[in-house]
Amino acid sequence: MIYLFQLVNGIGLGMLYFLLAVGLSIIFGLLHFVNFAHGAFYLLGAYLVYDMTERGLNFWAALLVAPIIVGALAALTESVLLRRIYHLPHTFHILVTVGLALMVQELVIILWGPVGGNVSTPDALSGVLILGDFIYPQYRLFVIGLTLVLGIGLWWLLEGTRLGAVVRAGSESTDMVSLLGIDILRVNTAVFALGAGLAGLAGALAAPIRGVEPFMGVEALGIAFVVVVIGGMGSYTGALIAGLLVGIVQSIMTTLWPEGARLMIYLGMGLVILTMPRGLLGRA
Amino acid sequence: MNRASLHFLLAALVAIALPLFMRSGTLASEVLIFAMAAAACNLLLGYTGLLSFGQGIFFGLGSYAAGLTLLHTSLPLGVALVLAAIAGAVVATGVGWLSIRRQGVYFVMLTLAFSQFFYFLAYTFKDITGGDNGLLNIPRPAIGPFSLGDSWAYYAFVAMLFLIVFAALQRVASSTFGCTLLAVRDNEERARAIGFPVRNFKITAFAISGAVTGLAGALHALLIGVAPLSNIEYHMSESILIMTIIGGSGNLFASVLGAGFYVIVSDLLSSIWPRWLLLLGGLLIVVALFMQKGLWGLIERLVVALPMGRRSAIKSPIESPIQPESEGRGI
Repeated sequence: MIYLFQLVNGIGLGMLYFLLAVGLSIIFGLLHFVNFAHGAFYLLGAYLVYDMTERGLNFWAALLVAPIIVGALAALTESVLLRRIYHLPHTFHILVTVGLALMVQELVIILWGPVGGNVSTPDALSGVLILGDFIYPQYRLFVIGLTLVLGIGLWWLLEGTRLGAVVRAGSESTDMVSLLGIDILRVNTAVFALGAGLAGLAGALAAPIRGVEPFMGVEALGIAFVVVVIGGMGSYTGALIAGLLVGIVQSIMTTLWPEGARLMIYLGMGLVILTMPRGLLGRA
Repeated sequence: MNRASLHFLLAALVAIALPLFMRSGTLASEVLIFAMAAAACNLLLGYTGLLSFGQGIFFGLGSYAAGLTLLHTSLPLGVALVLAAIAGAVVATGVGWLSIRRQGVYFVMLTLAFSQFFYFLAYTFKDITGGDNGLLNIPRPAIGPFSLGDSWAYYAFVAMLFLIVFAALQRVASSTFGCTLLAVRDNEERARAIGFPVRNFKITAFAISGAVTGLAGALHALLIGVAPLSNIEYHMSESILIMTIIGGSGNLFASVLGAGFYVIVSDLLSSIWPRWLLLLGGLLIVVALFMQKGLWGLIERLVVALPMGRRSAIKSPIESPIQPESEGRGI
């Protein structure tokens, strides 16, 4: 029973990792831009929810508003700063986004202190679900449900809409898309904001589960990298499978060897790289 | 005088000048220790085109290796340092071997993921590493008749090692091996087509870089008497990389400048405002946008601007740092 519990836990965690990594993955796919500030958006999402609920705002409102604010900030950053450096080598993308991440982290410490805090689960979901022997916190089930719906919505957005078609075409050739008369700059900004917003949402959803602290962004960045390395960059399905895999491995290991749970994630990544250098579904 | 001996002379001048201008022997030692780490990082970034986010792994391991040796055995200091360098080299070989299986962005992400792996490794095995507290009370034994207890005595020891390491790295960089690394950096496919074993070259560069970084980590642990968990953290990798980039990735002496700038400015600012990293983040963005050759590039421009300096500022092939790459390769 403990394994079933941890399996469900792992699915919830894995879906959060998926949200986190898929944004990174889409941004890279379209913009060929390495975003080392991705963890900072996750961090911001979590802290915005923390701040708003501390001020007495309804959790649901906070959950809705936080990712929108993160997305808007990301859109601003993209159009003011990042747009100017796309043409530079990756090294400079990394340099600028590492700088950004550092600034966000320090701002978070200035605004909310170095210690962090807890976000209480909303009253409506603070109970547990009881199914025979299986007892499970409702909030975690809600996270699984919501991320599942979002995952399907995102899949439809990428595969079934015009924006998705432009994004996928842009991943193949940005120049060609521009030549077809599509304002690629606006698409870029939108995709960047979307990816960052998803990271912010992942942070917001994770806040009641794991609390907030200023260095959670770095940890999230590491996890997101593991997921895209295993799943392959630019691949929706890859991010989904790898996210779930990482989440489940981490959860089950928490039972077997609590201290080593996070260690196993990185060990698993090493094994994948050793056996499948391109990742599970990566193209190149 | 050729460029290499000029740079060595500059490095020696820095080592001599630090005690004249600085009050704290500890801070001065820190400058040179990080100068070694940054120069080792530069061997990968500037010469091989590998942006490694894993330098903290080797630094931290060096700290632990030296600390464990001195705490649990009665082996002399020199042996502890050699063991730290070996530990750095061995692990760097492993990390390099795995990471270079992927290129470009994936390579960078892998090195970062490995740095998280080793952080959690150190954190998990608390019995060996001391976990959050670090390895405490690491002794600093005398070398023969010379006690290193005084901070300036220790500085002299560090400075000597720094100059030896700097000269050794210069030799590596100017050897056929080093020139081949430049070829790999500039066009990996061409280097491979010519018949160079590119993979082996990259792994060897990693091993050398790891050995030097491990040594630097060991010297740092001896300096502060502790091998803290923070020495193997993501932020250590980040700091070493930032020093290297701020200095300029074109030549080894630039890394000394970068390390000196970072260590001294962080010491000054952190006492005034603990959140100075905010400014550092901004500085990184400025460097990326306007100062892509780092502090060294800035100095070079000033030298060229002087009428006397025009002749000496001849462009050498090593001076073109990070090349615009094609198809995301070459990081």
